Amino acid sequence: MVEEEQSNKKKGFKLLGILDVQNTPCAREALLHGSVGSLAAGLLHFLATSRVKRSFDVGFAGFMLSTLGSWFYCRISNAQLRRQQVLIQDGIKNKLLYEGTRVDTVSKPKDQEPCSSCP
Amino acid sequence: MAHPSQLGFQDAASPVMEELLHFHDHALMIVLLISTLVLYIIVAMVSTKLTNKYILDSQEIEIVWTILPAVILILIALPSLRILYLMDEVNDPHLTIKAVGHQWYWSYEYTDYEELAFDSYMVPTQDLLPGQFRLLETDHRMVVPVESPTRILVSAEDVLHSWAVPSLGIKMDAVPGRLNQTAFITSRPGLFYGQCSEICGANHSFMPIVVEAVPLKHFEEWSTLLLQDA
Repeated sequence: MVEEEQSNKKKGFKLLGILDVQNTPCAREALLHGSVGSLAAGLLHFLATSRVKRSFDVGFAGFMLSTLGSWFYCRISNAQLRRQQVLIQDGIKNKLLYEGTRVDTVSKPKDQEPCSSCP
Repeated sequence: MAHPSQLGFQDAASPVMEELLHFHDHALMIVLLISTLVLYIIVAMVSTKLTNKYILDSQEIEIVWTILPAVILILIALPSLRILYLMDEVNDPHLTIKAVGHQWYWSYEYTDYEELAFDSYMVPTQDLLPGQFRLLETDHRMVVPVESPTRILVSAEDVLHSWAVPSLGIKMDAVPGRLNQTAFITSRPGLFYGQCSEICGANHSFMPIVVEAVPLKHFEEWSTLLLQDA
């Protein structure tokens, strides 16, 4: 099982030798969105202006903006999900810990029976 | 632990290390985009047929290549500073352990409740059992309860050492006559390996660190057993 995990990690493709696309969360989606954005921007610009070189420049700018936008959106969503996960885990832990006590916010503690030996 | 020909970080075993991994991915994506931009500009400049000997200045591009790097640096600096201060937080630790560096082994002291102390020497290669890791195993591990905030006070008896466990995101210099404090929470049970990270003599590479995170019940059993043997 460890060997399988290691072989899966070894298969990760490093773009420009820098970014491990497969094993980095949001990287693959960001690059795919960037590629689509680049193609769309470049193509539209060329159709409108018939200028090849400038269309390449516009396409590249589209790639940068789409990649960055998709990356930040995905990372922020993931961070929010992680935060919610931590809150839920803490909530479950606290519920189990405080169930039946005064601190329990979900169910009220049962009324204590009157003390028979008390004055 | 690390695997052969590994280039990236080890899997995170503490929340701080998870944050460091996320920041590393973030910084690397920005680096990738900048590298791509530079590559594209180089190709465009080399392949252009335009030559203009009389360009003196251009206000627009000057503004762009001043503002844009500043924005990029801010985008990198803000999460970086956040993690920097996060790493300094010590939130009401449940346990305090002293890790003291010697030439060439570590000693650990659990002095919160009882006087529990032991040395941690590397297991020599010829004494390794099948499945154990060369130059990483120790005869006594530092045992901590899982998911419990733990404070480590790092110091040294003789020369400079450094107590480092990559999967926990910890590295703290061990300075003689000084107590350096760091804290961590292990997210999952397991064994986490590290090595001395400050040159300290002939056997600097042979004084590893092993942190064993176990459930609290097992930690109590272990400490009781060790106290009885002492």
